[in-house]
Amino acid sequence: MMTFLALAASWAARQASEPSLMERYVQGLKEVDASKFLVLSAIIFSLGMGGVLIRRNIIVIFMSVELMLSAANLNFIAFARYWQTQGGLYAYNGHVMTIFVIVVAAAEAALGLGLLLALYRNRETIAADEINLLKW
Amino acid sequence: MLLVGWEAVFFWMLTLVALFAAVFTVSARNPVHCALFLISTLIAKGALFLLLRAEFVAGAQILVYVGGILVLFLFVLMLVNTRSEVENPFNRQDKVGAFIAALVGLAILGAVTYTQQRGGFFKTKPSADRMAIENAKPDPNAPAGVISADTETLGVTLYTRAVLPFEIASVLLLMAIVGSVLLARDRRQEETYD
Repeated sequence: MMTFLALAASWAARQASEPSLMERYVQGLKEVDASKFLVLSAIIFSLGMGGVLIRRNIIVIFMSVELMLSAANLNFIAFARYWQTQGGLYAYNGHVMTIFVIVVAAAEAALGLGLLLALYRNRETIAADEINLLKW
Repeated sequence: MLLVGWEAVFFWMLTLVALFAAVFTVSARNPVHCALFLISTLIAKGALFLLLRAEFVAGAQILVYVGGILVLFLFVLMLVNTRSEVENPFNRQDKVGAFIAALVGLAILGAVTYTQQRGGFFKTKPSADRMAIENAKPDPNAPAGVISADTETLGVTLYTRAVLPFEIASVLLLMAIVGSVLLARDRRQEETYD
């Protein structure tokens, strides 16, 4: 009986001293660290990947690719900012990488949409599952 | 902690906007609506870049994506006929595709949370002088409109540490311009110029 009471007392003391789950959630909402940016960009990346896999319209597939690229950009900037707050050297490398990703995305969009217009002129369709000439 | 106080509130608002707009980008039936939702999510991400003190990248994001790429998308959407896709926007393998994408997303999320539980990415302690800068209260009597050094530092980094990739990127853009002009002309124009 005494041991049980002692256990209960220690349990209650630990409950009182430790923050509850709710309090920890509220704390997590109030203080945003870099891992929340990683979670956001992971979710957006998988959404873009789903768009690439399930859509028929090639233009929307392109848009999903842009979504994935910009999710990666968010990661780069979040890590760069974190490294900057740590006082790390060359914290701006992430920004430089993001600039290059934006440049490559612009080039890809221009070329891809030109290709797509040529395709539409020949095949009269831009549905991904009707363009099956190279399908095995 | 990267963001506290009002910045955290703005982070959650922008996160919600970016997530919902991304969901509708993938799932909207009309491709024009997809393009407009893509604009929304990219603008929300630009604002997140601002919260992360990346002012130049935020500006470049708005200018290039929203001002350039999305206009290109909308023009091409006007040039091609997408009526049959509006009735049936998903292809035959949509269930399998959604399953694979969900699996990959869960794998990335699991890796992030696992490394976070282990104290992985973010366990180094900030240096003392850096913490002093971060924790300094803003001076209420300071003059408004202090210019951030972000763009200057980014330019110096771009032209000292990343010169070669910068030049390669310019050649890439030139190739993209020539290639898209070559691809987009129609048969009559080809005969004229050949």
